[in-house]
Amino acid sequence: MLGHSVMVLILRSLALTLTGLLLGGVSAFWMSGLFGAAPVTPASDISLEGWVSDWAIGSTSANAYTRARVARHGLLALAKEEAVYFIRNRDDDGDPLKASCHYELQGGRQDAAWWSITLYDEESRLPMNDDGALSIDATTVGDADTWTAVISQTRPEDRLWLSSRGAEQFDLTLRLYRPLPSLLATPETRLNPPSIRKRHCGAGS
Amino acid sequence: MRALVFPAILVLVMAVIGHVLTLHLVPSVIMGTAMNRLAAQGAALHSFRLAPRTTPQTQLVVRPSPDLAYSICAYHLRGPQPLRIRAAAYDDYGSISFFDARTNNFATIRIEETAPDSSGPDILLRGPAGGEPDGLFDGHDLRSPTPRGLILIRRLAPTQQAYDRVRAIASADVCALSSSAGTISE
Repeated sequence: MLGHSVMVLILRSLALTLTGLLLGGVSAFWMSGLFGAAPVTPASDISLEGWVSDWAIGSTSANAYTRARVARHGLLALAKEEAVYFIRNRDDDGDPLKASCHYELQGGRQDAAWWSITLYDEESRLPMNDDGALSIDATTVGDADTWTAVISQTRPEDRLWLSSRGAEQFDLTLRLYRPLPSLLATPETRLNPPSIRKRHCGAGS
Repeated sequence: MRALVFPAILVLVMAVIGHVLTLHLVPSVIMGTAMNRLAAQGAALHSFRLAPRTTPQTQLVVRPSPDLAYSICAYHLRGPQPLRIRAAAYDDYGSISFFDARTNNFATIRIEETAPDSSGPDILLRGPAGGEPDGLFDGHDLRSPTPRGLILIRRLAPTQQAYDRVRAIASADVCALSSSAGTISE
C-alpha cells in the first residue's frame, strides 16, 4: 500500500516537472519570437515609422531573448558598429505586408556607407522565385536623393522592383552597413525610413 | 488548498528552469545546426569556401543578403594551435567577422581599411586554450570565447559581374591551422 502511494507521488511529481519544463520552454520560445514569423517583437528597442531594430544584435551584451530571436531570424548578424538591421512587416496603414497586394516603396539617402532592402517570407527565407528581384540597394538607385520601387508579384515596366512572388505574408529588412556615428547616436533623427504605400490588393498584384 | 501548494511550487520552479535552459540552449543549437549544414554542403573545417551566389535556391541560413558574396570558414580550436586567417583585399565593401558557438559577433575587421598592402588583413585566431602571442606577429591577434565558431567574409557583390570579381580573388583567402605565428600547416 505504501509502495503504491510512493509510486503515485513519484509519477505525479514527474508529470508536474515535465509540465513545468514544457511551460518554461514554450514561454521562452514565445517571448523570444521563435514561433513562426516573428522577427519583430515588442522587445525590439528602436522603432521608427514601423521599422524596428535592436542595437544589441550581434553584441555580447544582447539579452537572452534577443540572442535567441536573432539566432532564429538573423543568424550571423553583425554588431551595430559594422551594420544595423531594421525590419518592417506592416504598410503605412498598419496592415500586414501581403504578396496579394501591390505596394510602392519610397526612400532616400542613408547615413551609411552602403544600404540594401531585401524581402523575406514568413520563415525569414528569400521567397522561392526566380525573378532576380530579391533586393534593391544603394548601387541600384545611384545618387538619387529619393527613389521609388514597386513591391508586387509581377514585374513592372521600367521601375525598381522587389518581387513578392512565392511569399504569402512578408517583411522587409533594411541593412545599413558602416552606419555613421550620428545614425547610431540618434537614429530617430538620422534614419531616413522608407515608406510603404499600399496601392491595391487582389488579382494583378 | 494546502495540497495544491507543493504542486504549484514544483511547476513554477520547473517552468523557470525550463525557460532559462531553453534561452541558453537555443543559440548554440541553431549555430550547431548551421555548422552541420555547412559541413553537409561540403565545407571543410579550417578552410574558406565561397558560397554560391545567394538565391532562394542556394540560401543556407536565414535572411541571407543577395547583394553580398559570402566566404565561410568553420573552426574548432581544441588545442594551442591558432588559426591563421587572411582575407584577400577587395576594392569595394568587405568585412571579415567572427562568431563564437553562442552566435556572438566577437570581432569584425574591415577588409579594405585595415589592409597595409594589397594582400588584405592578416589575422591569428586563438581558441580559449590557445597560448599568448609570441610578439613576432604584427597582424590582428584574436581569441575565440568558445572552441567552435564560424568566420564569415562578406564582400559587396550585387551583380553577377561583381560576384565573378569576388570569385577571382576569393581563392587567395586563407583559413588554416598555424604551427606558429608565421607558419601555416596546410
